[in-house]
Amino acid sequence: MSFAVRLGVSALALSVAAGSAFAQDDEFWAKAGEQFQGVTLRGVTEATPPSNYISDVLAPEFEEKTGIRVEIETTSWDQMYDKAIKDMEAGTGIYDMVYIEQDIVYAYLARDFLVNVTQALEENPDLKAPSFDEADFTTFADYFRGDDGDLYGIPMEAFIKIYLYRTDLFSDPEVQAAYKEKTGKDLAPATTHEDYQAIAEFFTQWGEDHDMDLWGTTAQAHTGHPASWYEYVESVAPTFGVYGWGIDPDNNYAATVENGGAMNSDAAKAALKWWLHMRDIAPPESVQSTWTEVATTFAAGRAAQGLVYGENAAWIASDDTKSRVVGNVGVALPPLQDGVMEAAESGEGYIGYYDGGAFGLPVTSKNRDAALLFLQYIGQESVQPGWAVAAPRITHTATYDDAGVQDMNTELGGYYDMLKDQGRLFAGAPAYPFHAQLREAVAPIFYEILTGSIEPDAGLDQMAEKAEQELTDLGYRQ
Amino acid sequence: MHSTKLGWLLLAPTLLVLFFFGVLPFIYVLYVSFHQWNPFAVNPDMVFNWAENYRRVVFDAQFLASLGVTAAFVFFAVISELILGYMLAQAFMKDFPGKAIFRTIHTLPLIMAPIIVGSIWKLMTTPSIGILPNLLDNWFGYDLNIGQSAIAAFVTTVIMDIWHWTPLVTLTLIAALVSLPPDPFEQAQIDGANKRQIFWHITLPMIRPAILATVFIRLMDALRTVDEVLMLTGGGPGSATRYVGVHIFKEVFPRTNYGYGSAISVVVLYLTIVACWLLYVGLIAPRNKKA
Repeated sequence: MSFAVRLGVSALALSVAAGSAFAQDDEFWAKAGEQFQGVTLRGVTEATPPSNYISDVLAPEFEEKTGIRVEIETTSWDQMYDKAIKDMEAGTGIYDMVYIEQDIVYAYLARDFLVNVTQALEENPDLKAPSFDEADFTTFADYFRGDDGDLYGIPMEAFIKIYLYRTDLFSDPEVQAAYKEKTGKDLAPATTHEDYQAIAEFFTQWGEDHDMDLWGTTAQAHTGHPASWYEYVESVAPTFGVYGWGIDPDNNYAATVENGGAMNSDAAKAALKWWLHMRDIAPPESVQSTWTEVATTFAAGRAAQGLVYGENAAWIASDDTKSRVVGNVGVALPPLQDGVMEAAESGEGYIGYYDGGAFGLPVTSKNRDAALLFLQYIGQESVQPGWAVAAPRITHTATYDDAGVQDMNTELGGYYDMLKDQGRLFAGAPAYPFHAQLREAVAPIFYEILTGSIEPDAGLDQMAEKAEQELTDLGYRQ
Repeated sequence: MHSTKLGWLLLAPTLLVLFFFGVLPFIYVLYVSFHQWNPFAVNPDMVFNWAENYRRVVFDAQFLASLGVTAAFVFFAVISELILGYMLAQAFMKDFPGKAIFRTIHTLPLIMAPIIVGSIWKLMTTPSIGILPNLLDNWFGYDLNIGQSAIAAFVTTVIMDIWHWTPLVTLTLIAALVSLPPDPFEQAQIDGANKRQIFWHITLPMIRPAILATVFIRLMDALRTVDEVLMLTGGGPGSATRYVGVHIFKEVFPRTNYGYGSAISVVVLYLTIVACWLLYVGLIAPRNKKA
């Protein structure tokens, strides 16, 4: 048998097998949905590209296959938490699915807000979809496992906060020559803070000299929104070697240097001052920018480089209805201080923020079984490639090999390769059950630092003291 | 006797609604305010702590600062709305071309949800992108950046409130002006009174109850402003626009400090009642006594 014939027969066999598998899947969803006719599932999530895909694509597909109606409420980050927590705390059972950001999962688990999905599926084998397998997930799913190793949320987005830069500017011979003349160095994505700063200062000056709306860096530096605090503690401080917000959970949750913490350490102070300088040479809207506006600023072509959440990378790089820099986006690892990469490689530190979230099932849900079906639907391997192309998030190991994802990877300058190969160098938020409480206690001081009312050094001292006081009040620090 | 019973019977549904949605929640908030309760603490249960939360409120620099900026916000917003609302009401009492269209447009902000108002103003004030910074820069060379300048942020929130709520004042005052009898005005004109005298001695005293009712409503609304400001500035820059409503929101929701947040709410309610009482005593009671 010739190679061509063998290939043809194999392809035919594969397509028959795949078709048969899909038919079996459809049969399962239709049968499983029969007992839930008339049920309407309600979910609440943040209005992000991955969540919009659930609302616009996956929910209607699920409805069609099962007959179970799904209403997904996409709202702002603050409102999403407000609604979900109030619902679960009061036990009203309005929502059958809630978005669980990686950083809040420890608080939810501590309060027993979530259904153990692994256990629920073991106890209800009839509801177990043949196409759903926990083993398909990347290790990011581990963030949503309890102490028992069971899954409490279905990962639906996972991305890293990356260093984006404008390839058109970085490869422009005129720009390269001017940069070389000014700094004596070749223009390339920065690997150190000194280089990043030099590039940022150069482009801000370049924009001014050439009367362009161009600045050297983005800055997520809102003076009244926690986004600025997040950028500092999760994306900047770690690159200076300050991890876990500068709190040592193994040392009675110490935050001050005096007690063994690092929130007001010299490294933390250096990180903050460096970042404040970047803020000063960033576009003027930066003082009102959260993560969304940072992406918009970069997409508008107003910054030469910046730290941008990966969930926005796809539309910035490929959607010319929203972005002016399509085809001109490169990705790189964030700039680092000496020793940080070694610490990340050894597992003792990390170089940036691995963000993401899952869809969880509140114990207060009134439609638990139907919701379990929906969670499995969005956790199937088969729906992942389309989702990954629409919004750059990968939660399944096999998704990396999909042809569409590979094409997008090329368009994104190797973002998916970076996520796959170097994602391990990034980390999610520390496992603190007091995440929002501590943030809100220290954030007002941080905002005062941003406005210049308090000096950075004194501000960090105050933040560290306030953090310890808050943790004492909450009972975590003895 | 029969009519009294019937009266209570007719009132009963309203009183029940008021009890369940007004009185009962207030009693609950009062109860919570005497407890230490943060569901994300090591001990997530409510623990009775006497008046500790109230003692804390008195010494809470952040709360006192928010009270100060709120007082300034309320003062400037309500006074401006009253003056502007009165002028517009007087204008609408006269006929002019396009009056109906102008009156409709003028009323539109009233029907908008506060969160939308905040979003619109955020879009309008974002540096480099928003229309206001661009116009101010082109016309006056003024660099409006409400993320940086505390004064600019404060003034913008006041203007946003004026834009949103002046129509309410206008409509209330139009209703009051329309209902005024013409006789006193005609007599004053015959006696040779000028416009200023007519305003001070006839119009103002006659619409005083309507003005006071409007001030009470706006005062209470302005004291609990949250959505618009949260959307526009987040309470910043720093704490420049962290008004008490925003402060309570941040204490109660993201920080889940239910006990302490409830205590602040009760204190703010008390202060609101005191402010309204002072207004009443200062403006209405002397008149009644005199009469």
